[in-house]
Amino acid sequence: MATITCERITKRYGGVVAVDALDLTIRHGEFMVLLGPSGCGKTTTLNMIAGLEEISEGRLLFDDKDVTWQPPHKREVAMVFQSYALYPNKTVRENIAFPLQLRRTPREEITRAVTEVAEQLEIGHLLDRRPSQLSGGQRQRVALGRAIVRKPSVFLMDEPLSNLDATLRLSMRSLIKHLHHRLRATFVYVTHDQAEAMTLADRIAVMKGGLVQQLDTPEGIYARPANTFVAAFLGSPQINLVQGEIAPDGSFARGAFRLALPPGAAQPGRAVTLGLRPEDVGTLAPGLARLEARVDLVSPLGSETHLEVVAGDDVKLTLRVPKEWRAQEGQVIAVGVDPARLHLFDATTDARL
Amino acid sequence: MAGRPIAPRLGRALLLAVFSALFVLYVAGPVAWLVSSSLQTEAQITAVPPNWLPPELNFGNFDAILNAAERQVTYETRRQGDPATGGFLPSGAANLLPSLWNSLTVGLWVAALNLLLSITAAYAIAVIDFRGRRATLYTVLATRVVPDIALIVPLFLVIRNLGLINTLGALVVTYLAITVPFTIFILISYFEGIPRDLYRAARIDGCGHWRALRHVYLPLSLPALVASLTFAFLTSWNEFVFALVLTQNVAAQTLPIVISGFVMDFTTSFSFVNAAGVIAIIPPVVMAVLFQRYIVSGLTAGAVKG
Ligand SMILES: Nc1ncnc2c1ncn2[C@@H]1O[C@H](COP(=O)(O)OP(=O)(O)OP(=O)(O)O)[C@@H](O)[C@H]1O
Ligand SMILES: [Mg+2]
Repeated sequence: MATITCERITKRYGGVVAVDALDLTIRHGEFMVLLGPSGCGKTTTLNMIAGLEEISEGRLLFDDKDVTWQPPHKREVAMVFQSYALYPNKTVRENIAFPLQLRRTPREEITRAVTEVAEQLEIGHLLDRRPSQLSGGQRQRVALGRAIVRKPSVFLMDEPLSNLDATLRLSMRSLIKHLHHRLRATFVYVTHDQAEAMTLADRIAVMKGGLVQQLDTPEGIYARPANTFVAAFLGSPQINLVQGEIAPDGSFARGAFRLALPPGAAQPGRAVTLGLRPEDVGTLAPGLARLEARVDLVSPLGSETHLEVVAGDDVKLTLRVPKEWRAQEGQVIAVGVDPARLHLFDATTDARL
Repeated sequence: MAGRPIAPRLGRALLLAVFSALFVLYVAGPVAWLVSSSLQTEAQITAVPPNWLPPELNFGNFDAILNAAERQVTYETRRQGDPATGGFLPSGAANLLPSLWNSLTVGLWVAALNLLLSITAAYAIAVIDFRGRRATLYTVLATRVVPDIALIVPLFLVIRNLGLINTLGALVVTYLAITVPFTIFILISYFEGIPRDLYRAARIDGCGHWRALRHVYLPLSLPALVASLTFAFLTSWNEFVFALVLTQNVAAQTLPIVISGFVMDFTTSFSFVNAAGVIAIIPPVVMAVLFQRYIVSGLTAGAVKG
């Protein structure tokens, strides 16, 4: 009982449209990530699903039931907030038990459930403390515990890891992934961290300005970004985007810079934006397009090396190459690019060709 | 710190001590004199030089207050009153204890009802996002822009037409009209200071509005609730003008009315009036002592990371 359907959901704050006619179906048991930059409407979307914000227009369905006007406490969703939102006047034990108490769960059952959750999250020794006596990571675990103790069918999480340091974030990330596997509930997870989105999601909805830009699996979004915004938002280092046009011979051209494209990729003369992921370069081999460039900066990272290069007259590119490559600054190198891995976008609409 | 010369530090401490002492004298002096004089006879109070402390403890004034009901005071018998009061017992002395009771009754009702009405109103305005919430707030506050004195005559007429003159209920309703708008305003700003995510969490966890109020807003605004309670009680306890107009006799008169009556009697017995004054300040003092430990800050520590 947990397919969430948003039918043209809109949220307006006065004149500001925070979410614009959102159509989104989140399948039962799915891990859906809403990804986007600050202010794109992720939290607003989540709050509308939770019932914490009124929906200005459109319909929200849980399975086949219209819940557009249902108050949050009737919706059977659990939520984890970016701010944790623990009840400061209650102990950890009372915080976790609170949702069960409100449901008049028998006391023995509450005790058992709280103990079980505390064990899962390794917070058993903290049960009698108050939130003010916990570290950020511990608070986050308690917030998670309060959400999972009810065993709801829908979990909503609003940037639950953004207040944690990098190491803690990684371990919490895998904790959440395990939780999803074990609980088999529907997860809607908001983040602006693309790595979090890629690792956790079954599907990602990339949002911008209140609109969903693309909805697909992480692999799909990475391999076939729907527009330049999505292409640039995912991947680190960022994808190289070069504006230019299609030469008469069907290759991409910008000044002296040329790169062969798959045959028939676009009409000659058309203005396009070329996308090249930094890692999609390798040693020259038959069937690969040749890319010549002068090395400007070498950044060895240990596991790999990032090169900043200039190709043609003014085309700056970032390339990710194996650490064994011993490139020198100032040297001119030639690498191979698989034309099939290049991305082409319309120069005016920014949409994928 | 270490390198600083001793002399200026000493001077600073001395200055602080002197001004603290002056301040304490200013605030507590009249109260001390009230208590001291209530334990003296009229002759001792009016002695020159004055007796700052009672030469001997004399409970005659309090005895007169507590037993006033058993004495008949008429024009003829008033000179045979208790010698402790200088021979003059105000004719309204017997009303003191009943009016004390009236004041307590009205004060407690006002304190309780004020909180009940204000909490729900403040929650609705601060938390629930309904159309016209700002307008509601301004309307409530606007009722307090009109000076009380301008309201007295219309209020008197309304109360009289309702047949409520000289009843405690009339006082309770009138005082609520004074305290509720202020209390709503205080509670709204307090409620708005409670992190919104706590409200959201409560709603998600299964609270409707009543439970969110009970489980989140009330426990976290204890200091504001106690302050409101105290404010309402003291407002009611001290109020004079409305009580003067709306009450006529011991059935509904409050302490300030009865005590002021002592001063306007044939003659004034200062020691007796001061003893009444001591009785009048006991309930507020007890209240302040009981409640001051609830006035603390930092109740929301640890709720959210901001
Ligand atoms: N209560 C409000 N009143 C007016 N505008 C609002 C309100 N809440 C949000 N907005 C606007 O709606 C838009 C979407 O906000 P939202 O909080 O959903 O963004 P977000 O994607 O969660 O961003 P972030 O990553 O910074 O949390 C923003 O432009 C914001 O300014
Ligand atoms: Mg947000």
